[in-house]
Amino acid sequence: MPDLLPFLISGLGVGAVYALSGVGLVVLYRSSGVLNFAFGALGAVAAYVAWSALDHDWPLALAALAAVVTSVAISLTYGRLLAPRLAERESTVRSIGTLGLALVVLGFTEWFWGEQPRRLVLPTDAGAIEFADVRLTYTRVLGLAAAVSMMAAVGLLLARTRIGLAMRALADQRALSSILGIRVLQVDTAAWVISGAFAGVCGLLLANIVRLQATVLTFLVIPAFAAAIIGRLSSLPVTVAAGLIIGMLEAVAVLVPGLAPFRSATPFVIALLAIVLWRDASRKA
Amino acid sequence: MTPDSIRRERRAARLALLRMVFVVLALGALVPWLANAYWIKTLTSSLALAIAAAGVALLYGQLGLVSLCQYSLLGVGGWVALRVGHGLHWPFEACVVAGGLSAGVVGMLAGLPALRMKGLYLALVTLMLAGGFQVVISATGFPDGGAGFLGRISGSERLMLPRPALAQGEGAYFAYVAAWLAAMLALLELHRRTRAGRSWALIRRGEAVAEGAGVNVLLYQTWAFGLAGVCAGVAGALLSGAVGQLDGRAFAASESVMLFALSLIGGAYYWAGALVAGLLLRAVPSLLVDLGVNGYLAMVFFGAALLHALITAPRGLAGQWLAAFQRRAAKGRA
Repeated sequence: MPDLLPFLISGLGVGAVYALSGVGLVVLYRSSGVLNFAFGALGAVAAYVAWSALDHDWPLALAALAAVVTSVAISLTYGRLLAPRLAERESTVRSIGTLGLALVVLGFTEWFWGEQPRRLVLPTDAGAIEFADVRLTYTRVLGLAAAVSMMAAVGLLLARTRIGLAMRALADQRALSSILGIRVLQVDTAAWVISGAFAGVCGLLLANIVRLQATVLTFLVIPAFAAAIIGRLSSLPVTVAAGLIIGMLEAVAVLVPGLAPFRSATPFVIALLAIVLWRDASRKA
Repeated sequence: MTPDSIRRERRAARLALLRMVFVVLALGALVPWLANAYWIKTLTSSLALAIAAAGVALLYGQLGLVSLCQYSLLGVGGWVALRVGHGLHWPFEACVVAGGLSAGVVGMLAGLPALRMKGLYLALVTLMLAGGFQVVISATGFPDGGAGFLGRISGSERLMLPRPALAQGEGAYFAYVAAWLAAMLALLELHRRTRAGRSWALIRRGEAVAEGAGVNVLLYQTWAFGLAGVCAGVAGALLSGAVGQLDGRAFAASESVMLFALSLIGGAYYWAGALVAGLLLRAVPSLLVDLGVNGYLAMVFFGAALLHALITAPRGLAGQWLAAFQRRAAKGRA
């Protein structure tokens, strides 16, 4: 029996990003009924902005801020200008609309920055801490910390604040909430902003862990859908747990003989099992 | 005794079907005369993909179902066609039929969850399937004449799947693919006009409605998925015949998403929409490269077109053009 711990810890890095993306997707879906296919593309454009900023010798904090502001701005623009035009249609069509946004953003990014793959090297990559024979760079530690604190913040926001209450109300009954005087557009806007910020942070982390290539980053969101599906597109804690577990299982799958080339299929298999086994939940969506 | 008006309608419908087949066949006969070898190749894959797009359009247009794994089914069809072509040396037509039927069966299986879940969850299930297929096919690759079940060759040159005996050249193969496209479009159109189409229309209204009207929902919904799968499989087999082999890395989940998006842009309610989708997938990017425009700008354009189609033109480009044409014809009569 080989020692599992190092693999579990290295899987935690990707798992945290899956969890973070899953939460970003679920928050938006819960309040506006849109499953954001452009999540990965927003992350990609954020990562490229950070790369350019660092290239111009900006400090890391400022570069990261610029990146997140970019993804928030695009998300907000779409959420305010285009998404309302589809608001009357069924959930599928509203979600397919973000596919259009994904293509626009992806195409622009690939065109503007060129398609040669690069890595987003952050100044925090230099230092590292050793933990159970695994070298964790400060970037990963910071990323994990950011992921945990952002998820906690959103959890608190939904549970304790007025706008969180409004978001939950919107998720349950959109039309009724608007009759009760909840400002639907305002709450929608908040959801798009939060989702955009999550996309930006995820993009930065993934560009560092995997590589900086727009197409790759855009479709790395597909495994994150798996986490969101297991959370049944509504539960944040389950989504977080699912994201972490998927990341760790994917890392551990390297150890199983013959399974290594197929290990990136882990999220899809888990999501399919979850959908098939939880029959009642999936019916109403 | 059938009233005259109905008889006129029926004749018009029959004529429209014939016109469709004739237009596609005429395309197949004319293009090889007009285009150079590069463009014939590009247009050949466009026509093959149009068959797959017709399947996507069938599911979305008739039943309102979003399937994001049709390009993977194309891969399934291509895999089976290459496997039986290399392993059993079947004639090409038999390879295409085998590819189509097996992709149809897989499509039916993929559609089974649709009996339980609608809308977004179905899109997600199929997206997960496409993601899984991407991982598997890029690890195993496509058969290319080797031994064993996977049929992978190692050490020597990859073998090519021989083309059909009656279409060896580029131009002849283009016409051959056009003939398949015409046949598949006619098959779908005949489905739409008969019992199957009426059942689909009722299912779209609501399953309870359909059930109440005596429609076998299980049968007809699964049938639609199977039919869409057959379209994708035939397209995959024809594509593998065009080049002689397929590349496992070319079947990413993103391709399925793209195929769906472009089928919607083309128009899911009219046969020409599939043709437009095929051209958008292969011919338009080549055209832009010819003109010196970056291929990724085409993607920006596609994204904008998808939003435009969803918001203002739900019937797609083909539907929009057709409506404009009909308006002009009506003005001409008046």
